[in-house]
Amino acid sequence: METRTDQIERFAARLLETPGLRQLPGLQKEEQALQFLKTNGARIQPVFASLGLDVTRGWKEPAAIIARAVRLVVDKLLDKELAAIVGSRCTLSFFPGVAGGRQPPSRWREELLALVKRIAAHPVARGMLSGALAAVESDLTDRYIPEAWERKKYVYGEITRVQRLNLPSAELAELVRFILLVRSAPYLHVTPGSTAPNENGPGTLQEPFLQKILPHVCSLVPSLPGSLVQMAMRSTLAFPAQIEATARIAAVLALRGRTLVPGLIVDRGADTPDKSWLNVARRNARWHGLDSRLLDELYTISAENGW
Amino acid sequence: MRKIDDILESVVVAAIVLVLVHTFTDDLSILAGWAVGTRRWIIWTGLGFDLFFTVEFFTRLYAAIGRHEGAVYFFRERGWIDFLASIPLLLLNSFPNTMALLAGAGLVTGVGSFLNVLKVIKAVRIARILRLLRVIKLFRGIRYARSPMAQRHLATIITISVTVLVAWTICASVMESTGVLPGLEAPFTTGQAARIKSITTGDGSLAAVTQRAAEIAALDVSILAVRSENGPTLWSRFDSAYYEERFLPGDYGYHVENGIEIFTDERPTAQASAREALIFFVAVLLTVLGFLFFYAPRFALGISDPVSIMKRGMAEKDYNLEVRIPPDRSEDDVFELAELYNRVFLPLKDRQGSGSHESQSALSIDDVRDLVEKE
Repeated sequence: METRTDQIERFAARLLETPGLRQLPGLQKEEQALQFLKTNGARIQPVFASLGLDVTRGWKEPAAIIARAVRLVVDKLLDKELAAIVGSRCTLSFFPGVAGGRQPPSRWREELLALVKRIAAHPVARGMLSGALAAVESDLTDRYIPEAWERKKYVYGEITRVQRLNLPSAELAELVRFILLVRSAPYLHVTPGSTAPNENGPGTLQEPFLQKILPHVCSLVPSLPGSLVQMAMRSTLAFPAQIEATARIAAVLALRGRTLVPGLIVDRGADTPDKSWLNVARRNARWHGLDSRLLDELYTISAENGW
Repeated sequence: MRKIDDILESVVVAAIVLVLVHTFTDDLSILAGWAVGTRRWIIWTGLGFDLFFTVEFFTRLYAAIGRHEGAVYFFRERGWIDFLASIPLLLLNSFPNTMALLAGAGLVTGVGSFLNVLKVIKAVRIARILRLLRVIKLFRGIRYARSPMAQRHLATIITISVTVLVAWTICASVMESTGVLPGLEAPFTTGQAARIKSITTGDGSLAAVTQRAAEIAALDVSILAVRSENGPTLWSRFDSAYYEERFLPGDYGYHVENGIEIFTDERPTAQASAREALIFFVAVLLTVLGFLFFYAPRFALGISDPVSIMKRGMAEKDYNLEVRIPPDRSEDDVFELAELYNRVFLPLKDRQGSGSHESQSALSIDDVRDLVEKE
């Protein structure tokens, strides 16, 4: 016998698999579904009623019940997504290059997975993780970094001469992937409903705040070097602060991930998605606190490759 | 109801394609001298098509009048094309042709006033060109572009082009037949008229007429038969069976003078006319195809596609693709507008949208209703 909770959960699962959402990563599905409930809740009261929900006191309560069910379903999806990313896609191949030749510690996978799950469970950090996770799942790092490496221009110069990292492009892509996964950790210390630090615009985090919370975040992944965690956290700072090039790249890719739609069919006469986004982003570079020269180079790469 | 309308529209489009094939086949059958039996079927089929389109026109008109939109249908929705490509063709072409077939207006065996139908058939042969207006109807029935603006724009261009071509051809034919613009047929027709006069003038006795007919027919192969009006056949090039096997109304001419009836072979002029009609048919078709395959993509690339992208960008919060501006067309008004859209509007939209995480959902109310219905 199917209970009402089962029925609601089944409805939420099917909602997330509708054609408009099917191709999106879990967290983007959730954002879209919650946004839909928020803006159309009043119009779909008959739907709530058909699911056995009480609509006599308005639509907000039943919408909140559906929203909780959506989050539960997405949590299950996320568990699988994160396990796949941390369990098989991430290798920390860059680790010897940044830790004086040491191999990655044995517990790094469990610690990293626990951290990312913790981020995903926090209301504010979960929102920030969405773009970063989409960027990781779409392999944006593997597309842009080898290209930038081949060009040996701004990105190459910033990484090799300023940041003084001497890594092959594949390991560098892996480092940026790691930064993307960890960069939302500072938002674990942001209270829901407070003045929202927002990676889509001004109001990004400040250096002193990061310094203050660094020990706690490091304690969540004790076997990983603090400098590595700090680099990932500094990716949330606004340029032109002194930020490592790898962190700047991660900031761009995380923001790109927020509006990424996998398998998007480009209309005839329109420019490609990445090229369009990067062109707008470089015009708004200061607004978003991003490195405009970095954006220029990524824009050129996307234009040359038809991305 | 909507489904029935769609089916009926599809039937009309299919009928238009078939009638164009029929028009082509009709002229080809005359030019290639196909068997009379086959051509007879073509004439009957032509009547069927013209009746179908006449009914279609009256149905559409009746429905439009019922909605108090009769004038809108006739003028704005190109009902005048439905009219011109149906009723005049039925009255001036298919109906006289089939009447002649039914009445047995056969060469030599034909009797009475039905033979006068032949004169009508020849005089209004030009009306067949009106069939080509159906190319416009065909074009109207096919949704080839997503943008209503592109659809309407191209429909207007094609309507103007085809209508001007058809109207001018009809005018030229009228001028040709009235002698204002003599055609290639003129020397042949004038010579034939002189020879007919030679047969019908002079000694009116049957023996003398027969003698003159035989002498002149030996020089002019277009003279087929000479008959005393409502009387016996005086001279004939072939027997009746031959005529029945090879001639249809329109293939021969009928002349009466001084009580003498003369039948002439009009197949060469009919073939010349069919050849011209085929050339014209192909010209119209190529014009339309040229617009469809060369102009329509250019229109889409240069106008409707950029407009559609900008429209979506302004209407949909999450649609942020830029308009691709071809370097060689960057000075076009539309692309100047697109450049402003890319350079000014999208960055402003990005900033405005960056204040919150809220975005327009990819879900629609219908998606959710569908889900409940499936439950």
